[in-house]
Amino acid sequence: MDAWWQCEVPYPFVPQGILDATDSVRASLPNKYCDPKIAADLFEQVIDEFLLCDDLGLNVLAVEHHAGINSLLGANPVLLGILARQTRQVRILSLGTLISLRQDPVRAAEEYATADVISRGRLEIGFVKSGGSEMASNNANPVNNIERYWEAIDLITKALSHHEGPFSWEGKHYTHRHVNIWPRPWQQPHPRLWSATGDPDTAAEVGRRGMVHVLILRGPEGTRRAYAAHRQARAEAGLPKVTTDNFAYAAFVYVGDTDEEGLRVGGKLLWFLHTSLKSAPQYSRFLPGTVPPHLAPQVYRTVPTSGTATLSANQNAARLTSITAAQAQAQGILFAGNPDTVYRQIMEFYDKVGGFGHLSLVGRSGFMTHAESEKGIRLFAREVLPRLREIKPVTVD
Amino acid sequence: MGSSTAERLSVRGIDLEVTRRGAGPPALLLHGLQNVDPRARFLDLLGRHAEIIAPSHPGFGGSPRPADFETVYDLVRLYLEVLESLPYDTVTLIGLSFGGWLAAEIAVACGHRLDRLVLVNALGIKISDRETPDILDVFNTSPAEVRRRTWHDPSRWAPDHDAMSDEELVVRARNWDALCLYGWHPYMYNPRLKRWLGRIGVPTLVLWGASDGVVTPAYGRAYSGLIPGSRFQLIEGAGHHPEIEQAEAFVDAVARFLER
Repeated sequence: MDAWWQCEVPYPFVPQGILDATDSVRASLPNKYCDPKIAADLFEQVIDEFLLCDDLGLNVLAVEHHAGINSLLGANPVLLGILARQTRQVRILSLGTLISLRQDPVRAAEEYATADVISRGRLEIGFVKSGGSEMASNNANPVNNIERYWEAIDLITKALSHHEGPFSWEGKHYTHRHVNIWPRPWQQPHPRLWSATGDPDTAAEVGRRGMVHVLILRGPEGTRRAYAAHRQARAEAGLPKVTTDNFAYAAFVYVGDTDEEGLRVGGKLLWFLHTSLKSAPQYSRFLPGTVPPHLAPQVYRTVPTSGTATLSANQNAARLTSITAAQAQAQGILFAGNPDTVYRQIMEFYDKVGGFGHLSLVGRSGFMTHAESEKGIRLFAREVLPRLREIKPVTVD
Repeated sequence: MGSSTAERLSVRGIDLEVTRRGAGPPALLLHGLQNVDPRARFLDLLGRHAEIIAPSHPGFGGSPRPADFETVYDLVRLYLEVLESLPYDTVTLIGLSFGGWLAAEIAVACGHRLDRLVLVNALGIKISDRETPDILDVFNTSPAEVRRRTWHDPSRWAPDHDAMSDEELVVRARNWDALCLYGWHPYMYNPRLKRWLGRIGVPTLVLWGASDGVVTPAYGRAYSGLIPGSRFQLIEGAGHHPEIEQAEAFVDAVARFLER
């Protein structure tokens, strides 16, 4: 198993009174509450943490989110460029440019190819469907988001792998008559592709395409279902079986010297759920295209009627805002404790979902300090990562 | 909003739910942010003066949306086709809000099939400078603020989701998605439409709810000013939906215009 460390570079330093008074800590919170001097310190610390990962052989992962306290990484390719140059040995996963928000996927392909070359072939390219407040922040139509997602991936894949001069793309959402990027990527035909999704339809397409399929904070049930949809779609399409290397899971992870320390410091990661998910209804339950119309009765009413429909991403978010550390551990969202405990929790989750080959560590959030973050990285890399490396990819039925 | 009482209309393989009411000179009514509720009082009142034909746009109400049908261009072509298919040489075209945008586009393109044009709190053009939005962003604004700016008397007229049936809520969600698909970008206007409004040659009435905070009366006056010979009239005590909040005054104004 491989492991990937990430930090979304959240900005927790907005006064609580402001956060309580606003209806949304994303998209609409004025940026006067973000002090660029504090932001600079945060970036410096987090980039140092990424470089520590590089020293210790722990892969790194760069996310993208826009305009909120949850993350200052709106410009994902900028961080990607820094990591491509400043790290020297580990692999770098972009997870990812929120591709359906970008006007021109060809430009994104140029950025990926450049980062792959600078890093001499250490880049992996992950795509995230996006949604919610990101749509407002990027002027992106939420209704046909998923169509743009796949078309952009198709165009980027061709731009990265086509080497015989300009080609033309006149698709439904993107037109670019003269695509010929320089440099071409280091890795041939292109860096490995990942996709983050929990819904069955998208999971099936991820499976047919053979992308690495990552689930984020979904817990064992949702994760197992998504992996199963991935495998079933491949079987139905007559495609070969895949190994656990096609599957990834992202959770909050913190390793301390003791269980007490692991849980106490790891519990700070839940700030992300408790504080940074607050999103106004226009960016969540009333966002067009977010909920299939037949589920509207459960979503539109102020007091939802009883129903057993699958939890939407928004409902999932609502459930997470009040979660305790113990609940988060029980639900496979938080792996925290001493090295043995963390390893055991990871492997229990592994068994519940049918195995996965990549663990993404949401490793610093909220008010966790730089020192705490670095200690957790060191302990994970020294005590847990070698054991995970022993787990080889296996074919999954 | 229920589809049970509605008739169907098929144009070039596109199936439309249609609400029909009344008798008299024919009037094609293009709805706004929501499809026309067959129970709406203004339908019965206006039906005393005209034969109303009110389709639900594809994706709205009980009209399916073909998968490749997703722009205002498609809607305008569809309604040009509907005009061709109706058994009348000319009709009065009434456009509410988003449907007012469609009506203005159709009147520019095909004036010879129109008898008269009525625009009601219409969207569709850009008036102010680049940093002043003319049209309230209903998708990126809090629902409470949208409600406040949509209605003169929200406590009386704004829809209450808790009181609606499942079927009605499903229709609202379909309407919301379709509206977003058609109108997201550029937001609820066509940058090219304004320069062609001068082509409209039919008698035109521009009606506006005086309390509208979605598109203000000042926008309506400017809109009217771009259409040769058009008459602008405010309806007091109404917001974005004068046909609902002031059904009598709305129908009086339309009826007088039709009789002129």
